[in-house]
Amino acid sequence: MSAGPSAVPDSPAEADSLRAQIFQRLHPRAYLERFLAENVRPDGRAFSEWRDVSLNVGSISTADGSALVRMGDTTVVCGVKAEIAEPELDHPDEGYLVPNLDLPAMCSSKFKPGPPTEEAQVLSDRLNQALVMSGVISLSSLCIHSGRSVWTLYVDATCINYAGNAFDATLLAMVAALKNTRIPQASFDEESGRTVCSRKNRVPLTLSRFPTSASFGIFDASQILADPTAFEEPLLDATVCVVVDEEPELISVNGVGLGITTTVDSQKTIQACISAAKNRSLELQKLL
Amino acid sequence: MAQNYDRRRINGPEDSYPPIFEEEEEDTLSWNIAKPREGRSPQDIRPIFLQPGLINQANGSAYIETDKTKIACAVYGPRQSKTTTFSENGRLNVEVKFSPFSCARRKAPLRDAEDRSLAVSIHQAVLSSVRLELLPKSTIDVFITIIENDGIEGCISSGTIAASAALADAGIEVLGLVASCSAAALGDEIWLDPTEKEARKSEGTLILACMPALGIVTNVWQSGRMTVEKATQCLDLCQERCTDIHAVVAQSLLETSKAS
Repeated sequence: MSAGPSAVPDSPAEADSLRAQIFQRLHPRAYLERFLAENVRPDGRAFSEWRDVSLNVGSISTADGSALVRMGDTTVVCGVKAEIAEPELDHPDEGYLVPNLDLPAMCSSKFKPGPPTEEAQVLSDRLNQALVMSGVISLSSLCIHSGRSVWTLYVDATCINYAGNAFDATLLAMVAALKNTRIPQASFDEESGRTVCSRKNRVPLTLSRFPTSASFGIFDASQILADPTAFEEPLLDATVCVVVDEEPELISVNGVGLGITTTVDSQKTIQACISAAKNRSLELQKLL
Repeated sequence: MAQNYDRRRINGPEDSYPPIFEEEEEDTLSWNIAKPREGRSPQDIRPIFLQPGLINQANGSAYIETDKTKIACAVYGPRQSKTTTFSENGRLNVEVKFSPFSCARRKAPLRDAEDRSLAVSIHQAVLSSVRLELLPKSTIDVFITIIENDGIEGCISSGTIAASAALADAGIEVLGLVASCSAAALGDEIWLDPTEKEARKSEGTLILACMPALGIVTNVWQSGRMTVEKATQCLDLCQERCTDIHAVVAQSLLETSKAS
């Protein structure tokens, strides 16, 4: 990888692989089509095969809860920081859950330093919907004193290596980090109006649901590619993302792109995605 | 409207503050100069775990972990410079980013002065090792993300090591590997590679970056109160450690290049 395509090849095998690399750069679509015609994907997976996932929790001591997820080469770290804030007037008993995903310039050459890219904004919003709307944690459990003091959970994820399907990896990292989070026991003092916490006693959060997601790419209107890589993503006609909880019950289905129409065929596609997502969720739940 | 309101992110409440604790942290009060260093001897540094090449999207990368300090570094380039003016030498660009959960207090995602000063130190430390004269019209971007921070001194020295290893991993020509070590002066003693707590208690700190293979110093940063003799003593001790660090870095680069 590091040598790049400019290196002079020494052996015939190296020359072949160099030719393949150049072809991949110049004609990415044809490159992918030729693989798919042989019923295999460029990284050697079958269409419905997922990449290996590993999960590591609690390794960051400065965070109240943390998780590191590797999905294939995609790497996401997530840390939870608990802070205290005043609740909103119309929801005096509800805390805040603030999920954000950062796609820094380090994770891929397609991102530039600076404010969040459009992709990061869209992903953060979808993560917010998946977490807040699905009720992963009841916001009233974050209340310390009604109307005066509540917990704010900042769930910040940073992508270290962007090799495709960041949404699935980040959602898993966020749920795992929340599950790992221990917040200090807090009490509100009415006289001074201050909230004080105990350094010794920390309590875990009570999560009510464990959402996990499964993303699929639709290529050429008929081929469903599970867990698309960064190379496949821009070539896809459409992506379908299915979020399910531990039951597995459906939380959301999100389809974007041209490939999904209202014909009978495409309904079958979505149904196939949903049933595959349920199977995938069983595997991911084991890690949590 | 709160100053950290950003339409492009999911925003929380306008104002929030970290928890306030009833009891003071015990060990901040009980330490005094006469007491020996906890956990390791004064001239010991924290064990280094260095893994080049973890970020396959980048041309070169390195992940470094020294106890609690965790830093990831990626190198992109050499690639075409964005500026239109011709430059005979390449440009080296270093950016440091703290992840929001990396410090004891949450860091809002807006860039502050701390990132910049760290970036400048690391830039200085590696700049003179890179053969930029071979890369006209190009830019090398070094992106560093601090995942967990245990003392700014440790971040600068580990960041420098990671940046230099990542540049080597990217196959960019350098004169030598840059190793870096920090020292803190506490009373009569010198503690190498101080943690955040130790650095806070010290009278002064010194960070040395050098190319041990050539015996050339690339950057020295001293802050706080220190006599000249003390500073020289720190330099000597740091330089000694840098030689050890250099061996660790070279070894891990060798193993990675053999494996691939």
